[in-house]
Amino acid sequence: MALFSILSNAASSLSAHRAASATHSHNLENVNTPGYARQRVNLAATTPAERWGNDFLGRGVSAQSITQARDPFIESQLPKALSAQARSSSHANALEGITGLDPAGGAGLTEALQSFYAGARALAQAPSDPGSRAAFVANAKDAALAFNRAQQSIDGARDGLDSKLQADAARATQLARSLADLNGQVRQELAAGSSPNDLLDARQKVQDELVQLTGGSVVPSADGTVSIVLQGGGALVSGDRAASMGTIADPTNGGHLALTLTTGSQPTVTMPSSALGGSMGGTLDARDGTLLKAEQALDTAAYDWATTVNTQHRAGYGLDGGTGRDLFTVGATSAGAASALVVDPAMVADPRLVGAAASAGGVPGDASNLQALIGTESRALASSGTSVFDTIANAIANFGAEVQGARTAATRDGAVADQLTTLRESVSGVSIDEELVALTQAQRGYEAVMKVITTADEMFDTLLKLR
Amino acid sequence: MRVTDRLHYESAAKNGAAARSRLQEAAQEAASGIRVSHPGDDPHAAAQIVRHAANAQRAGDIARQLGVATDELQAADGALEGVGNVLSRARELTVQMANGNYTAVDRANAAKEVQGLFQEALGLMNTKAGHRYLFGGFQDQAPPYDATGSYVGDTGVRQVEVAPGKLVDASIRSDVALKGVGGGTDVFATLTALNTALAANDVAGVQNALTGLDAGIQQVASARSQAGSSMSAFDVATYALQALKTEALGAQAHLQEADAIEANTRLAQATQALDAALTASARTFGLTLLDKL
Repeated sequence: MALFSILSNAASSLSAHRAASATHSHNLENVNTPGYARQRVNLAATTPAERWGNDFLGRGVSAQSITQARDPFIESQLPKALSAQARSSSHANALEGITGLDPAGGAGLTEALQSFYAGARALAQAPSDPGSRAAFVANAKDAALAFNRAQQSIDGARDGLDSKLQADAARATQLARSLADLNGQVRQELAAGSSPNDLLDARQKVQDELVQLTGGSVVPSADGTVSIVLQGGGALVSGDRAASMGTIADPTNGGHLALTLTTGSQPTVTMPSSALGGSMGGTLDARDGTLLKAEQALDTAAYDWATTVNTQHRAGYGLDGGTGRDLFTVGATSAGAASALVVDPAMVADPRLVGAAASAGGVPGDASNLQALIGTESRALASSGTSVFDTIANAIANFGAEVQGARTAATRDGAVADQLTTLRESVSGVSIDEELVALTQAQRGYEAVMKVITTADEMFDTLLKLR
Repeated sequence: MRVTDRLHYESAAKNGAAARSRLQEAAQEAASGIRVSHPGDDPHAAAQIVRHAANAQRAGDIARQLGVATDELQAADGALEGVGNVLSRARELTVQMANGNYTAVDRANAAKEVQGLFQEALGLMNTKAGHRYLFGGFQDQAPPYDATGSYVGDTGVRQVEVAPGKLVDASIRSDVALKGVGGGTDVFATLTALNTALAANDVAGVQNALTGLDAGIQQVASARSQAGSSMSAFDVATYALQALKTEALGAQAHLQEADAIEANTRLAQATQALDAALTASARTFGLTLLDKL
């Protein structure tokens, strides 16, 4: 009886050690798998033990469970950290590419304004010279073009961010579907009493990416599923159901895209920018925050400056004796002024119309009005209360400060996320050394149990040879 | 802390990438010599660079226009010098011909010379510099004096900027200097009267012209001294503007450009840092139980 039980116990112990070595092999094989959390076989002495008189005879070892190494404390902090890091780095990256406000080069806004005034000064010394007049009009065209270019460089970047949002919305929808599917499978496995470790890993990976993309919060449920709730309260994933994200042109924001959420058969909801965090939130921060502000600053500067120059220019008399003419054509309000700014076509066609003289009698040699127009270089603009150069310098400084802030935030959030990711890896990651030791340990255990079987077999043999 | 293999590789990748990015930044700065190329590099400096550049450009532009104004004033001064010489010669002739020893023939010959001097003065006052007549006020596209020496220009005085917003006169009012507007002597009328008196052998008339010529010489000299003082003011302003420009350019460069020694030191440091990161990574990669079992 006892000899048979040694053999049967050894057989089940053998399977426990085999499970251990299989698990360590699995760990080793997944050493480079993203999102994989190492697994552990929990071995324990088999119970109940066999009663033997007043004592108990042990019945070998069995594998109780296979568990994942995950630290709930770290895991609970990670979504927020990942989302913050994705948001600030996406914001900072979007701003890095803007060259329209570079202090030198770029759209050449300040250089073009300098040339405009240089042209005005040259013309003031030779107002009756047709060549100087043509040169001055060309300088004015350059100044208008520089405003156009600076505005286009920013608006082009905002359009580019629209495309990014569109792609991100499609990716978020795809990830939400995967997460909902995995939620369904996990719930099923858990209900059947098993621990679906590899499904959990796969879900963790999708969940991490979705949180980084949308900044949603992770809400675990008792049935083992996780929901992703956006900042505005809309559920992107709820158990095994996923909503889909889309985009729609927003006429109140110059036709740039707003994000929508469609849950099942319910009507599509347009989400405010505040509903999103993560890299999509960062993209929106850049598009509707920093870049919009820079664009508006340019528009206001263009409108105020052109209006100031026009007001002065209207007081002047052209070579034809005409007066009351504008040098620039700019819209009625500052909205879109930087892109709409052009030199009046009549001036381009006939530079003789430039109003250099302060009176009809002063034509052609008087340049007093042009001297007054040069004075607009340092005249305070209506909205900013500072000169055009200071206004642009301030716009550059404000934009630069936002870029610097975004860079700092990206570095800081990156460090936090890195630290937590390192801690997660430290807890859940696979160490080859450790697994090799454990595998060897399991191998030794296995060999020892084999020895038990051989010994039991020899004992049988001895017993059977008795005559 | 429990260190896994992936931590090794990830930290190697991360540290390597960070060191490489710092190296790239340092190399960029050393190669281009530019410290602030994006407003985010230094927002305050970026704004100041724009202001300094605008100031430097403005000072340069004003100085350039002062140069143009100086050239024109020199041309005007040259013309006035010529007119001064004409008047001196006319005075000489007048003094000579007022003497009773000269005959009617001598005076008729002198009248011819005075006629020539009149034409010479007329030509000088119709001097054109570049595309415009210098002495016509704002009416600079037509000769300011007609054949009889009448002034057809206006009273306009051109101005030039000597500092932002500060204007000074940059042309001579020839109607005052030559035509005696505002209580002076009409030089051309005096020459015409002299010519008439000489032709008519009118000694008293010739003597009368002397007062007018003296006043005319005085007027031209005073106009020249006006031009001279304007030019010297322009010179002073030009020096000041050039100093301003140099200062603004210096301030701009100071903010915008990288210090070559500092930039190259940083480059050397970044190179070493990358080398160290790579060496350290390579060493840790070799250490695994796999090779020992």
